[in-house]
Amino acid sequence: MTLVQPMTDFAIEPEPLLLSKSVSKMYGDRVGCLDVSFNLWPGEVLGIVGESGSGKSTLLRCLAGIDTPTAGEVLFRHGADPVNIFDLPEPTRRKMMRTEWGIVHQNPRDGLRMDVSAGGNVGERLMDRGDRHYGKIRDAALDWLGRVEIDGNRIDDRPRQFSGGMQQRLQIARVLVPEPRLVFMDEPTGGLDVSVQARLLDLLRVLVRDLGIAAIIVTHDLAVARLLTDRLMVMKDGRVVEEGLTDQVLDDPHHAYTQLLTSAVLSA
Amino acid sequence: MTTMLRAEGLSKQFLLHTQNSVSLPVFAQVDFTVKKGEAVILHGASGVGKSTLLRILYGNYRPSAGHVHVLHGSQFVDIVTATPRRVLEVRRRTLSFVSQFLRVIPRVSTIDIVKDPMLARGIDPSEATRRAGDMLARLNLPERLWTLAPSTFSGGEQQRVNIARSFVDPTAIMLLDEPTASLDAANRDVVVHLIDEARNNGAAIIGIFHDEAVRDRIATRRLDLTAYRAAA
Repeated sequence: MTLVQPMTDFAIEPEPLLLSKSVSKMYGDRVGCLDVSFNLWPGEVLGIVGESGSGKSTLLRCLAGIDTPTAGEVLFRHGADPVNIFDLPEPTRRKMMRTEWGIVHQNPRDGLRMDVSAGGNVGERLMDRGDRHYGKIRDAALDWLGRVEIDGNRIDDRPRQFSGGMQQRLQIARVLVPEPRLVFMDEPTGGLDVSVQARLLDLLRVLVRDLGIAAIIVTHDLAVARLLTDRLMVMKDGRVVEEGLTDQVLDDPHHAYTQLLTSAVLSA
Repeated sequence: MTTMLRAEGLSKQFLLHTQNSVSLPVFAQVDFTVKKGEAVILHGASGVGKSTLLRILYGNYRPSAGHVHVLHGSQFVDIVTATPRRVLEVRRRTLSFVSQFLRVIPRVSTIDIVKDPMLARGIDPSEATRRAGDMLARLNLPERLWTLAPSTFSGGEQQRVNIARSFVDPTAIMLLDEPTASLDAANRDVVVHLIDEARNNGAAIIGIFHDEAVRDRIATRRLDLTAYRAAA
């Protein structure tokens, strides 16, 4: 028996992939999210928790470039230097969002093309990336269906013939196939049965680790956060009230609201 | 011998906002160092803060004051002030926490649970499978269980899966919270041997053991927390 040898040299610090600088979103007088700043590094999985109305989905929409913040900046390392995603010309931003980012919607219908076959839903993303060889695209689509545990003989079926859990797995394949550097997920297991959730969660955990992608996951489920995330931000009334290592925030919460949130969980 | 871990002025009090903001002081100004090849057993009556201290060393709890310097490769990292991703890197390669409870991930098989930390360290999957099997066999878990998820296992079986996962590829610092608690004599012996093996290979061990016999076999030194009790 020998001991594990550390090999990371911290002298070389990689740069953050995404920088949120004082991001705020107001709806008239009403606060969506307020003054949220953080950095996300490559391969890191960040969870955002809080009850409904806490601003977590609003923040995610700003970070993902779906909504424009009222104040603040979202910088993404696209090439050598971080760029403000809202300063980019629309076509550039769209292209970047398609190739370097992925968004997993809570409702798979928002992320899938329901009238296109399962294979087409996955293959389309490879064509966006520039792949043109039909046989290769079909092989890659088959490989990805296997990875998300969808039987290859369903490749020509349309998503509307799939169960909710299968649709969600197909959406995940569609998002991950171009190997994005950053994935946004809004309640990825939201509408699913508990047994289907468990299957999906483990799949996500392994895929995110094996591909080394960074992810931001919004969830109200603390067990999901514990399983999938490295770091956690707790939001209340649009503000981040506590953040840190996930197990630290959940096991030794300091803020009154986090203590309330963690003590309110029923353990099965 | 090389210092592996240095605790400096550690204090902890819990402030419970949801329970009339009651403040629970645990301990104050705890200082100690642990060197390579030492096994330090935390001592003191129930409630003195042994588990709390162990969790602080792992970065799971945040101390109210103080620092935990851990030798990671060639440099010390302060677990208290390090960024989350640095703490995770230190945990991945240097610092392990072994409790008697397995956190079961739904649907993940026993062998995959044991392989998981090795894969995260970049060990070849076939080697990881072989080593995981050897370790499960050593802990008397029958091969027919390896492909099953341990959700339905007995407490003792889950505990051995957890120990296999941690000792299949031991790190330089091992934090042990009662890992032998409800094991039978034969399996307890195996675990004591695993701990000794890790220590003989240079691991620094910090642990809590209620069983007096186990404690005597493992300990090279005791640290009594009673003296650090914080005034209520």
